Amino acid sequence: MDISIANLRKAFLRAGYITDEEVIITVFLALKLGKPLLVEGAPGVGKTELAKVLSQVLDADLIRLQCYEGLDENKALYEWNYQRQLLKIQISKETACIEDLEQNLFSREYLLERPLLKAIQADKQAVLLIDEVDKTDEEFEAFLFEVLSDFQVSVPELGTISARQIPVVVLTSNNERELSDGLKRRCAYLYLDYPTVEREIAIIRAKIPAVGEKLSLEVARAVSLIRDLQEIKKKPSIAETLDWVRAILALDQDRLEPTAIEQTMALLLKTKADQVTFSKNIGSDRLVEYARTEK
Amino acid sequence: MENYLEVNLIRFIQLLRYAGIRIGSGEVLDALNALSLLDLSDREAVRVGLKATLVKRSGEQQLFDKAFALFFAPPEIKEEYFARYRQEQTEHQQMLAQATQELTFQGMPLKLSDNEKTVFSGMPEKDKEKLLEFIKKTAEGKNIEQHFQPILESVVRGSLAYWRKSLRNQLDFSSLPQTEDEELNALLEKAVRSDGGFSADLLEEDMQNIADKDLPRAEALIRKLARQMATRLARRYRQSKKRQKLDLRKTIRQNIRFGGTLFRLRYRSRRIQKPRLVLLCDVSGSMARYANFVLQFIYGINDVVGQIESFIFSEDLERVTDYFQHVDDFKLTMLEVINRSKEWGRGTNLAAALKSLRLKYPDHLNGDSILLIVSDTKTLALDETLQELAQIKRIVKDVVLLNTLPRSDWQNSKSVGRFESVLRMYPCNTLSDLENVIRQKIIIY
Repeated sequence: MDISIANLRKAFLRAGYITDEEVIITVFLALKLGKPLLVEGAPGVGKTELAKVLSQVLDADLIRLQCYEGLDENKALYEWNYQRQLLKIQISKETACIEDLEQNLFSREYLLERPLLKAIQADKQAVLLIDEVDKTDEEFEAFLFEVLSDFQVSVPELGTISARQIPVVVLTSNNERELSDGLKRRCAYLYLDYPTVEREIAIIRAKIPAVGEKLSLEVARAVSLIRDLQEIKKKPSIAETLDWVRAILALDQDRLEPTAIEQTMALLLKTKADQVTFSKNIGSDRLVEYARTEK
Repeated sequence: MENYLEVNLIRFIQLLRYAGIRIGSGEVLDALNALSLLDLSDREAVRVGLKATLVKRSGEQQLFDKAFALFFAPPEIKEEYFARYRQEQTEHQQMLAQATQELTFQGMPLKLSDNEKTVFSGMPEKDKEKLLEFIKKTAEGKNIEQHFQPILESVVRGSLAYWRKSLRNQLDFSSLPQTEDEELNALLEKAVRSDGGFSADLLEEDMQNIADKDLPRAEALIRKLARQMATRLARRYRQSKKRQKLDLRKTIRQNIRFGGTLFRLRYRSRRIQKPRLVLLCDVSGSMARYANFVLQFIYGINDVVGQIESFIFSEDLERVTDYFQHVDDFKLTMLEVINRSKEWGRGTNLAAALKSLRLKYPDHLNGDSILLIVSDTKTLALDETLQELAQIKRIVKDVVLLNTLPRSDWQNSKSVGRFESVLRMYPCNTLSDLENVIRQKIIIY
């Protein structure tokens, strides 16, 4: 695909990812400038989805590195297959010549490629998704920074492996901690917020064609009201909105009704405290009233 | 030269930098490259392009949008801002000049700072007159000579300091950086000051001044800070899976079943002791608000500290730990504490509180515990307090005082100096102070 703003816009739409110009332009710039794209935003606004869609749009493999506390180079980059090496030694104890054996033991055969190395080694340009990078520690972040600057990796026993293709890198962060300035400087930055009511309607209608016009409007407005409530600790994500719509449809409702809301609220608000906050501050009757009021 | 893209871009970046956004030179180049890829007649594309390359913090997004709207406003609107800014500047200068003229002592102007003069101009007319009357009467008094001026100045300053506090919400004393480019100054002023601006950051606000309507936001912020810190700390305390030093004894033991071939390796990891905190919060009068935030924050990170014992004190001590076990709703719990407490909002006697702590709760004070005192150091019986502190210091691991007075006021307070001589003291005036001190000084990681 020839990368241009118009083409990207079309391709995103075709892939069912409904979004605004800001996202399209930022993605376009990241691709054109060859920079990693750092996407920040609250959980559930579609950060990971963006990377998935991007791989679809670019017709590239998606290689995913899920970050977690304690993730280290061995799990992210490469690791020697220690057990296999040991077996090899045991098997060839009597037969092989020691020098050959040593040469062989540190060959590609015994190298376990982890996502970062896989992305660099891929024959075709891949999309590398480094998910929830804020969960790793600073040490790993510094290491990541290095890999993303040079796109080459040194394995002491093998030498330097440089990228066949520079992958498209998407990093996501839930902003649980501030990332280092260095890493941020390298990236194009995109902040994803919860969708506006109009966009959420479009998303609902695209993902659940069976939904009626009224219900999608009411749900989108109701969800936006709930998200605006300061006291809610875990705001409903887009996926949860969709689940909610499906649940309401499953109850054979085509409008938002107080009883249906009460029956299905657990799909939207998933902690006891949030549910209490909701019923104390808004309540299902007022929610329906708000969702149905013409603006 | 004026309208070249680069020049305009650099000026815009200057504006952003002055407004507090950190932008490196690499990012400037990125922005320039981005612009070369975009249709410059498409305003939205330019905005997004600059935003993606220049602004990398979620909190700065709004600020950027506002600065962009101002900087790339149509010329006539910009001219309007500029004219208004100049007018305001002139008015401000005139106001200062007038204040200088009015505040004189036997014909000599009083030596007051511009900020103090601003406070004076902002005072209600009636009180202004009262102050002037006082100065005049003093000047006309018997045996009053010129060398009396410094004494009068300090009295006037004291009165203005009081007014400064009560006028805080109407007047703005924060000084913005001044550039040589007047137009930039005007835009900066407009960007930062207008309707709430972005400088009204709860993190930097004196906790005592956080308005009631901002409380939910402040609480959400505390939760966020606490969660950020807790995730970082949890990482620190968890048994690491990372490869560190090989634990040979364990490895050999584990691999006996493989006939002594070292098949599965075991690593040694360091265990880190969690600190035990004993919190002592001053809840007399104005201090209650601070105590509220500090308690909320500390309990937000309770997963990563070993144990928290909390006490509140004003004239005497009261243990409140039990209220905070398994809290669902912090606000309700706090309310309950306030309602039940006899101590909430009375005078301060730290010495008595420390003594009761030492005598009644000796179990909570030992070599592992860190005593955290939240106080503005204003207490009765200062000497006894210091003696008590010295005694307790011998028992516990450390005693730290979180001082709720702003750092700039420390030098004016005698008690601060006395306290500083016996214990570690850190400012805890804003939420960001609170976060810093807990992270960097209490739970070092």
